[in-house]
Amino acid sequence: MLTRKLFRTAWSYKAQFISMIIMITLGMGMFLGFNMEWKTIEVDTGNFFEQTNYADYRLYSEKGFTKDDIKKISSIKGIDAATRYLSVNLDIKDEKNKSLALDVSENYKVSTFTVMDGEAYDKKGDGFWLSDKFAAANKMKIGDKLTLEFQGTEIKGKIVGLIKAGEHMICVADKNQMMPDYNTFGYAYISPEKLKTVLKDKIKNDFKKELKKSRVPEEFIDEKLTELFITDEMLTEAETKAYAQINLISDMEKKALEKAVKKKLGRTIMVTSKDDHVVYKESNGEAEEGKTMGSVLPVLFLAIAILTMVTTMHRIATKEKTQIGTLKALGFKNRRILRHYTSYGLFIGIVGTAFGIALGYAVCKAIMSEGGMMGTYFDMPDWSAAIPEFCYPVMAATVALLTLISYLSVRQQLKGTAADALRPYSPKKMRKIFLERFRFWDKLHFGTKWNIRDLSRHKSRSAMTLFGIVGCMVLMVGGLGMRDTMAGFLDLLDHDISNYTTKVNLVDDADLKKSKELYDELGGDWESLSGISLDGDTVTLDIIHNPDNMLNVIDEDNNRIKLSDEGVYLCLRLSDKAEIGDKIEFSPYGSKKTYKAKVLGYNRSIMTESVTMTDTLAEKLGVDYSISSIYTDKKASNIKSNDLISGKQDKTQFMETFNSFVEIMDGMVIILVIAAVILGIVVLYNLGIMSYVERSRELATLKVLGFRNRTIGKLLISQNIWLTFVGVIIGLPAGVGVLQWLLTALAGEYEMKLMLGALTYSVSILLTFGVSLLVGLMVARKNKKIDMVEALKGAE
Amino acid sequence: MSIVEFENVTRIYTSGEHEQKALDNVSFTLDEGKFVVILGPSGAGKSTLLNMLGGLDSPNEGTITVNDRDISTLSDNELADYRAATVGFVFQFYNLIPTLTVYENVELVSQIAPDALDAKQMIAEVGLTDHLHNFPAELSGGEQQRISIARALAKNPKILLCDEPTGALDSETGVMVLKLLLSMAKNYGKTIVIVTHNQSIAKMADTVIRVKNGKIREIIEQDNPLSADEVEW
Repeated sequence: MLTRKLFRTAWSYKAQFISMIIMITLGMGMFLGFNMEWKTIEVDTGNFFEQTNYADYRLYSEKGFTKDDIKKISSIKGIDAATRYLSVNLDIKDEKNKSLALDVSENYKVSTFTVMDGEAYDKKGDGFWLSDKFAAANKMKIGDKLTLEFQGTEIKGKIVGLIKAGEHMICVADKNQMMPDYNTFGYAYISPEKLKTVLKDKIKNDFKKELKKSRVPEEFIDEKLTELFITDEMLTEAETKAYAQINLISDMEKKALEKAVKKKLGRTIMVTSKDDHVVYKESNGEAEEGKTMGSVLPVLFLAIAILTMVTTMHRIATKEKTQIGTLKALGFKNRRILRHYTSYGLFIGIVGTAFGIALGYAVCKAIMSEGGMMGTYFDMPDWSAAIPEFCYPVMAATVALLTLISYLSVRQQLKGTAADALRPYSPKKMRKIFLERFRFWDKLHFGTKWNIRDLSRHKSRSAMTLFGIVGCMVLMVGGLGMRDTMAGFLDLLDHDISNYTTKVNLVDDADLKKSKELYDELGGDWESLSGISLDGDTVTLDIIHNPDNMLNVIDEDNNRIKLSDEGVYLCLRLSDKAEIGDKIEFSPYGSKKTYKAKVLGYNRSIMTESVTMTDTLAEKLGVDYSISSIYTDKKASNIKSNDLISGKQDKTQFMETFNSFVEIMDGMVIILVIAAVILGIVVLYNLGIMSYVERSRELATLKVLGFRNRTIGKLLISQNIWLTFVGVIIGLPAGVGVLQWLLTALAGEYEMKLMLGALTYSVSILLTFGVSLLVGLMVARKNKKIDMVEALKGAE
Repeated sequence: MSIVEFENVTRIYTSGEHEQKALDNVSFTLDEGKFVVILGPSGAGKSTLLNMLGGLDSPNEGTITVNDRDISTLSDNELADYRAATVGFVFQFYNLIPTLTVYENVELVSQIAPDALDAKQMIAEVGLTDHLHNFPAELSGGEQQRISIARALAKNPKILLCDEPTGALDSETGVMVLKLLLSMAKNYGKTIVIVTHNQSIAKMADTVIRVKNGKIREIIEQDNPLSADEVEW
C-alpha cells in the first residue's frame, strides 16, 4: 500500500522528483563520463601498447648499433626482448607535402603492429605495411604502388597491408605537432630484408655519383659495375648506421639499465624510457589531463546535485508533515513511516544513478570512440568504455547519501507526538535583519523588502540557489576560459613565437658547416635541439640563433625575451630545478662532458621541457651541436630539396594541425556548457518552484488585495535576478580561480597562461542571466493560475 | 441606492465527474452603507457568494453588478484593479504578509489603491501604533485581525468583505474586533458584508441573507438592529 503511495507522492511532486532525478543523472553522468574518458584512454592505449609490443626503452646512438651490440644488449638480464630499430621521416615521391615515418623492426617481438587488412607481417617481405588511416585519408589501397625518397634513393614497393602500430598511435611528425594530420603525415613499416635492398641501392647510387664526380664517362656507369664494388662490409656498415635506435621491452629501472648498457657496450648511450617517447607521453598526459579535469568540474556537478537534493528533500518532508502525522495517528510505527519516506531518496538515487551511468557512457563515447572527439588523436583498433574502480564506491555512496538525506529529513518531522506531527509545518519566525538598522531600508520598495526578508528567512534555499548559479557560472567560465586560453596560446604561437613562413627540418646530426651554408642561403633563424641530462632527467637543450626574430622565446607574461649570451633560460616546468642566478650543470647524451651555466630567467616553452641558450653561449661553453631546423621567410616551394633537408613545413600547415585539437577542446567545452545550462535551469527551477509554493499564500493575498499578475511576477523574477547577480559576482572570480588551478595542474602538459576573452565573460554572464530569467518567467507564469480562494483557506 | 446586484447567479464547481452547484440561480441587491450579514451553515455557499462579490471568482451564469459595473465578465487585470479600488477584505486567518512589518502590511495597499488612506493613521485608529515595526507573528490573533482591518480600510474601498472575521478569535476578542470593524465602517461610510455562521452577529445587521444549499432562503431587513453591547455572545 505504502509503495503505491510512494509512486503517487512522486507523481504529485513530479516537478521536484523529475528535477532531482535530472540533477543526479546530470551530476553522475558528467562525473562518470569525464572519469571514464581518462580511464578508457589508460585501458585502451595500454591494451594496444601490449598488443603491439610497445617498447619500454629506446637507446639512441649517432653511430648506430652493430649486430654485436644488439646481441650484447639482448643478453642483459632483465631485458625481455630487444631489436635494432629504424624510424625515419621520408617524403612521398611526387606528392607535395606528404610524408611518412618509415619504420623497421629487426626483431619482430618489439615495436610491432596489428594488421587491419592485407598480408601478415613477413620479415622477408618486399612491400609496405601502411597506416590504414593514412591510406584512407589519401585514398590508397592494397596493391597500390608507393615510392619514398630516402636520401637520394627511392624506396619502391606495393602496399601489402593496412596496419595500426603502437609506436605511432599518436601519429605526429615531431614533438611540436599537437594533432595528427593523416592527409599529410602517416607511417609505414618495411621488412629488415627490404631495408637491406634499399641500403644496397643507396650505396650504389652514392657510388654512381662519386664516379660521375670523378668524370668517369656515363656509359661505363651501370648496375654491373657498381655491383662489383659493393662489399658485405659496406652493407653491414650502412645497416649499422641506419639502425640508430634499439627498442627494448624490460621492467628494469632506467638507472640500472643505463649502467648495464654502459657495462656491456663500454660507452655511454642515450637511454630514454617510454615516458619520454612522444606517443606514450602524450597519451599518458591526455589521461592525466582527464584525471585532473575529472577531479574538478564533474565533481562540482555531483556536489551541486547532492546539495540541491538536501534542500528539496527537506521541503518535501515538511510539506508531507501532516501526512506523516496522519500515518502516525493511524498507528503506523515510526520505523515503517521512516522506511517509507526513506525509500524516496533511495528511489531517486537508484533511478538517477542508472540514468547517470547511461549518460556517462554516452559522454565517454562521444569523446573516446573511433568516430568521437579523440578518434583522430588516437589511432588504435579497439575502443572500449572503462569505469575507474573508485567510481563504484562513489555511486554507492551517492545512493546511500541520498537515502540518508531523506531519512534525516523525515526523522526531523517524526519527532514528538502524533499531534505535533499533525500540526502543519511553520517556518521560522520573522526577525529583523541586519540591513533594517540602516536608514535607507525604509526607503526601499515593499517588494524589495519582501524579497530580502524572504531570502533571509529561507537561508538554505537561497544559499542553494546561489550555489547553483555560482556552479553554473564556474562551469561556463571554466569551460569557455579553457578554450580562450587554448586559442590565446595558439595565437601566441602563431604570431609572437613563430614569425616564419617555412620551417626547414634538417636530417639528424646534419653537418654543421653544410647546415650553416644552407642557412646563409635561406636566411632567418635556426635552432638546434638535442637531449641533455639535467639532474637525472632527460630534457631538451634548445640552442637558438635568432637575429631575424623568426623564432622567439617568450617569458611568463608572454613577452618576447631578448636572449642574452651570459646564461641560459629554463622553461617554466623546470623552474623548480634552479632559482634565477643559480648555476645549473648538464651533460649532453652520449658524452661524458658536463657544462655549467647561470640561469638568467624562465621562459614559456610550447611543448618540450627545455633549457634554452644562444649559439654564442653554446660556442663559448664548447657545446657540440648540429642544426635541427632553419626558420625562414622563404616559401617551401622555393626551397630546393637536398640531402641535408629532411622536410619542409609551412607554418599555416603546421598551425592547421592544431585545429583538430581545438575541435576536441570545443567538443568538451560544448558538453560542459550545455550541462551547465541544464544544471542551472533544473536547480533554479526546482528552487524557484519551492519558493513559489512556500509563498503561494502570500502571493494569493497580494492577488486578493488587487496586485496584478505582472507585478507579482516581477517580484518573483527580481528575487531570482538578485541571486543571479550575486552568483555571477562570486562565480566569475571562482571560475577564473578554478581555471587557474586547472592550468597549474596541467602545467606538466602545457605551459599556458590563463587568458579570458571578453566574449567568455559576456557569454557566461548572459547565459547565466538568461537561464535565471527563463526560469523566473516559468515560475512567474504559474502565478497566473494561483487559486486565490484555495490558498487563503487554512491556518497560518 | 443599491451598490450590489446579483442577477440569476449560478456557480458550479466540477471535480472529475462530480458537479456541485455552490450557488444556484441567486438574485439579490444590497444598499450602499448598509451592514449585511450572510448567514448559513458550512457548505451553504456563503463564501462562494463573498468570493464572487470580491472578484476572486466568476459565475458560470448570471451577472454581478457592483457600483453600476458588471464584474462577471472582467479580465484578470480588470478584476485585479477592481479588487484594488472597490473592495477590502478581512479574512478569518488575517492573511497578513509574514515578511512585512505591521506598517508595511498596511502601507502596501497604497501601491495599488488609487484613493489609499494614510497607513499610520489607520494603524492608530485600530490602536496599534506601538506595534508599527513588529512582524505579524509577534502579535496576538486579535491584534493581527485589527491590522487586517486597518489594511482593508486603508484602500478606502466602497465595500468591506469579511469572511468569518472573528472565527479564529476567542469570544471576548471577537466582540472587540467586531465593534471596531463596525464603528470604523460606519465612520468611513462603508458598505460591510460579513459572512458567518454566528447567529449573534446577524442580530446587529441591517440586512441578513440566509443561504442554504446554494440558494437564498430568505432576506431579512432589520429596522432596529442591536448594538454589539446588546447582543448576547
